[in-house]
Amino acid sequence: MKALLILFFTAIAVLFAGLSKNRKTLQTIALAGSILALLATGIDLMLGDTTGLNEHYATMFRFDQYALAFSAVVLIGTVLILGLSGWGFRALTDTLGDNYGLILFSLCGALCMFSFTNMVMLFLGIEILSIPMYVMAGSRRDEPESNEAALKYFLMGAFATGFLLFGIALVYGATASFDMQVIARAIAEGKHSLGMLHMGILLMLVGLSFKVSAVPFHFWAPDVYTGSPNLVTAFMSTVVKTAGFAALYRLFSSAFVDAIDFWGITVAAIAALTMTLANVTALFQTNFKRMMAYSSISHAGYLLLAVLAIGQAGSAGAMLLYTLSYSIATICAFAVYILVAEQNNNATIDAFNGLSKKEPFLAAVMVISMLSLAGIPPTAGFFGKYFLFTAAFERYPWLIGLAVINSAVSIYYYFKVIIAMYFVRDEASPVVVTPVGFKWVVAGGLVLIALLTLAPGSVYGLI
Amino acid sequence: MSLLLLLIPLIAAGFVLVARPSNGRQIALLFTLANLALTAYVVMAFQSGGGEALAFRTPWVPNAGISFSLSLDGISLLLVVLTNLLAPIIVLSSFGRTYEHENRYYGMVLMMLGALNGVFMAEDGLLFYVFYELALIPIYFICAIWGGQDRIRVTLKFFIYTFIGSLFMLMSLIYVYLQTGDPLAGNDVIRHSFLWRDLVAVPLSPSTAWWVMLGFFVAFAVKMPIFPFHTWQPDTYTTAPTGGTMLLSGIMLKMGVYGVIRWMVPLAPEAMHTLVPTFMTLAVVGIVYASIIAVKQSDFKRLIAYSSIAHVGLIAAGVFAWNKTGVQGSLIQMFNHGINVVGLFFVADLIERRLGTRSLADMGGIAKSAPRLATLFMIIMLGAVAVPLTNGFPGEFLLLNGIWNYNAWMGAVAGLTIIFGAVYMLRAYGLAMFGEPNEATAQFADLDTRELTILGVLAFLVLVLGFFPQTILGLTDQSVNAILGAVQI
Repeated sequence: MKALLILFFTAIAVLFAGLSKNRKTLQTIALAGSILALLATGIDLMLGDTTGLNEHYATMFRFDQYALAFSAVVLIGTVLILGLSGWGFRALTDTLGDNYGLILFSLCGALCMFSFTNMVMLFLGIEILSIPMYVMAGSRRDEPESNEAALKYFLMGAFATGFLLFGIALVYGATASFDMQVIARAIAEGKHSLGMLHMGILLMLVGLSFKVSAVPFHFWAPDVYTGSPNLVTAFMSTVVKTAGFAALYRLFSSAFVDAIDFWGITVAAIAALTMTLANVTALFQTNFKRMMAYSSISHAGYLLLAVLAIGQAGSAGAMLLYTLSYSIATICAFAVYILVAEQNNNATIDAFNGLSKKEPFLAAVMVISMLSLAGIPPTAGFFGKYFLFTAAFERYPWLIGLAVINSAVSIYYYFKVIIAMYFVRDEASPVVVTPVGFKWVVAGGLVLIALLTLAPGSVYGLI
Repeated sequence: MSLLLLLIPLIAAGFVLVARPSNGRQIALLFTLANLALTAYVVMAFQSGGGEALAFRTPWVPNAGISFSLSLDGISLLLVVLTNLLAPIIVLSSFGRTYEHENRYYGMVLMMLGALNGVFMAEDGLLFYVFYELALIPIYFICAIWGGQDRIRVTLKFFIYTFIGSLFMLMSLIYVYLQTGDPLAGNDVIRHSFLWRDLVAVPLSPSTAWWVMLGFFVAFAVKMPIFPFHTWQPDTYTTAPTGGTMLLSGIMLKMGVYGVIRWMVPLAPEAMHTLVPTFMTLAVVGIVYASIIAVKQSDFKRLIAYSSIAHVGLIAAGVFAWNKTGVQGSLIQMFNHGINVVGLFFVADLIERRLGTRSLADMGGIAKSAPRLATLFMIIMLGAVAVPLTNGFPGEFLLLNGIWNYNAWMGAVAGLTIIFGAVYMLRAYGLAMFGEPNEATAQFADLDTRELTILGVLAFLVLVLGFFPQTILGLTDQSVNAILGAVQI
């Protein structure tokens, strides 16, 4: 709760400070607020404090360990992205304050999605998360792709929210409550209208699957990720995705856990389709952001394994570790991409040709990020995948087999970047000037990945 | 102590990669020699006190039952000795060429040596897997940056092929891991464990053991390689730079055989009866198949690559026979193969550097201008052919004995390796060293000091181990008995 309040007030402060149009001030305020929120969350996590400001608030939220842990993940991601925003948002002038404000408000929505105990709060959280994102996707107002991305995201997002609302309504109709505990009890006792409940669960699944870009609700993702400004894509593929999954997991593990016999096989099918389709399509991409978009969809497929493993010890911890390592690796990869692509005006993977010659540090960062995303030991991404696979193995071994094959397939497109950087011989290295903010973020990301490699249990054991 | 063996090459790698000193190659050589000295000390400590004092164990992810456990028994120690013995030789042999961004090259070599040490010492299943994969990354970079033509496609194929194989091994490991521990224990007790002794203790039904063993087999069959999973090997060995090929053939493929001895058979012995005939057949077929192809090769490096498949097929068949002579033979032959194949690849590299070609047709009569090379090459080559009094002989004899005890027909077919080995090795030697010299080979410069040292040491080892194979057999005897006893087929 403290983090939520801090972020909210920081966002308002940034909105007002936006009148001054001073980039330094705006970035500092936003960063300071996020770091403060992160520290507050960290302290609460260490103390295990779920009382005081974290208590039930009109039975709408509950900031338990789960919510605090995931808040920490998205706050780390946001701090890194805000660190990049000094140079990353250089094209924005009069709307800079609004942009920072929107990011922070979106983050508030994410925090609501981690801690909801009431369906209404889930819906509110999703909306608070998404609407600023619709605007941010279109923030490059003079670029047609950005406008296209915003429109696609908004239209499809609104439609999906409609499904979500209808689902919520049906679940309410079946169980007579919006409160998750009451719904869970109703399902366990069997006092509900089965057909309406099942329909409601499915529709909610559809709405949430859209948010996390699971197949077959993923068609918006490649275009939106490619068209949006680079930093916004980084935010969408890390924070928004983490929020979506944490919410999905929370919903299904608190409210619908006893109906697992019903929705288990559906989610398994969605996971299988997502992993396979996304990985195969990513093989053919030449645009880096589009490839990362498909890779992001495939990671959604892997994360659904955590949802399937609800009830097994360590499934939430596995998801936590996975989203954390995935977020950091993605942000580091995007950092290098932003430098190379924007300074050399080339958005394809070929832009990286020969990068290792003049910029060995950036090339090394990209290699480590790619290896982590591919899940190659001993990176943090490997541990994330390993814990996820182990959690879901007992119930769905065939799905793990498929996931394993998909991991191998994904190596091919992640390695395309590594090959371009190191193995292409006669290319001149792209010219890159690294601003100080980027150096800090990338170094910080590397340190975090190293820490996660050495002590993955510290994150895995948190929840 | 075992931790030090692991850390020294890794720290050296980090230093060379990050600090980028101007004399990186000498520093790399220094660290590998230091590790070799430490290994010698460890061997003495092992022989006087046993392996327990040398182990290093600490929990890594306690709530998931993963621990960072390194330990040494005779089998591990033998392979660690091989790794650290070949390390300075490999580094020294790379001095012959100047590589662009040299520090990265030596950094990668050192990193790989560290990972290889880790594989052989790991006592925890997941740690074994992590090191197994960790060894792939540096070799991928070595082959793809400093390799020959078509390296990008070939190395990517190698990486993905190997990686898919080891993912199946991961699935098998996870399955057995989930069966460990007491299902009736309470929720706050650590339920599962990855330690070797806990994984081995899990009883599996024959049908599940079948799947588990198959998962492991795919990984190790690709690594060794065993026919028909060998298609990546000739291309990769030929395109890799010499140091890379030596690392691959000298040490990395031993990871596969070691994995079979230490992990595949002990964890799923219930499936041995059903699966071993198939595995044995594939191994023996590989011997004959690879040998026939080797006879027809004109590219010297490719010939040695195929001969390596043949030799490893024999070693693998000996392990699958799972009797005392078979397993002992495989251990000693792994050691010998490491030495011989590194020597052969070094000679191939040497000739290629002087003549600019690897084709046997362009060679001939080198013995006239380079007698020292001819002599040392002959000794190493005879070791590869397994002539008595060279190191190859005791190994091959024990292996054939072991396979024969398992099944006489298999033993007979596997015995063809002796004949074929002689054919392709002697043919290669004859074409390269004897006959009339052409203009290029007439001015072939003989060995310089560095090359003389390397080949001298290797030839010396070939002869010493041929005269006194008991040094190795004594080291591994107890552990082989232990592992054969621990696994009830």
